[in-house]
Amino acid sequence: MNIWEENPPGKKRFKYGQESYLLAAEAARHCSSFIGDDDDETVSNAYRSCYNCRYRRWTSDSFECLKS
Amino acid sequence: MEILLCIDDTDNIDSIGTGKLAALLSDALENNGWGEFGPITRHQLLVHQDIPYTSHNSSMCCTGKIKPEFFEMVIEFAQSFLRRESAPGSDPGLCIVNRGLLSDPDALITFGKKAKTTVITKEEAYQLAERLAIHLSEHGGTGQGIIGALAGCGLRLTGNDGRFRGHFQIDRRRERIKVCELMQQTGVDVVKSLDGRVLDNEEVVQIGEKVKAVLQDSKSTLLVFAEQEIRTGERYWRTCTKQQLKIF
Repeated sequence: MNIWEENPPGKKRFKYGQESYLLAAEAARHCSSFIGDDDDETVSNAYRSCYNCRYRRWTSDSFECLKS
Repeated sequence: MEILLCIDDTDNIDSIGTGKLAALLSDALENNGWGEFGPITRHQLLVHQDIPYTSHNSSMCCTGKIKPEFFEMVIEFAQSFLRRESAPGSDPGLCIVNRGLLSDPDALITFGKKAKTTVITKEEAYQLAERLAIHLSEHGGTGQGIIGALAGCGLRLTGNDGRFRGHFQIDRRRERIKVCELMQQTGVDVVKSLDGRVLDNEEVVQIGEKVKAVLQDSKSTLLVFAEQEIRTGERYWRTCTKQQLKIF
């Protein structure tokens, strides 16, 4: 299952928005770049989640991974 | 005198966050003997492609009670602190409001709310700050952080925006404790359900993993939600999770 899309070109965007907690946790489980962000900026109950990662950049409807 | 102090856009992807920097700044101001500073609140601003934020576009604000003779020193210290401590590539902004001199708080609140929904220019922020006699200054990069810094003060002033920085250390020898004990241990002003009911002192709350407060009605508010024991049917309250608090 591909959870990423290149949109806009050159940017790695999470396809499933800001409420797909299980998918975001699963993605981070397999990611060697994951580093937890400041606790105050984390939003997922699962610590290891792309939603909690220092290298995610929120967009209006999802986030992009800055480690692409 | 009472002040609001807010900073924004001080970090880069690898540096310490703006919240940590705000805490270091308010600690330093206290250590200088210039006054006392309260807890820091995080205010979410608009996430938009035309806004050059690092990763989440939030600003950090705290209240302070300082001796009037130190007001200018607080400003100068905060400015040099931001110049020195902000991360390379950041666009730091500083806002300090003297609440006693704030002639039109509604205008500042309106600006804060607008920054959650609309792309705002630096010029607009400077014009409002000048009209309201608010200190607003930029300390590197594009200085774009002044917008969030001014907005953060406005949002703090609403009394109904943002989460408090950090989480509470609670005695976890018991899973569930009474509201009065929870208030004593955390120092929060009120414990409320998500639908707005204030809990009585004797009601029981199960402590979740991370317990955080939000700003509601100008009070530090600990939010809980109703749960039911599957086996016994017993109903109890549980502290809200990070996911539930995300909207604040």
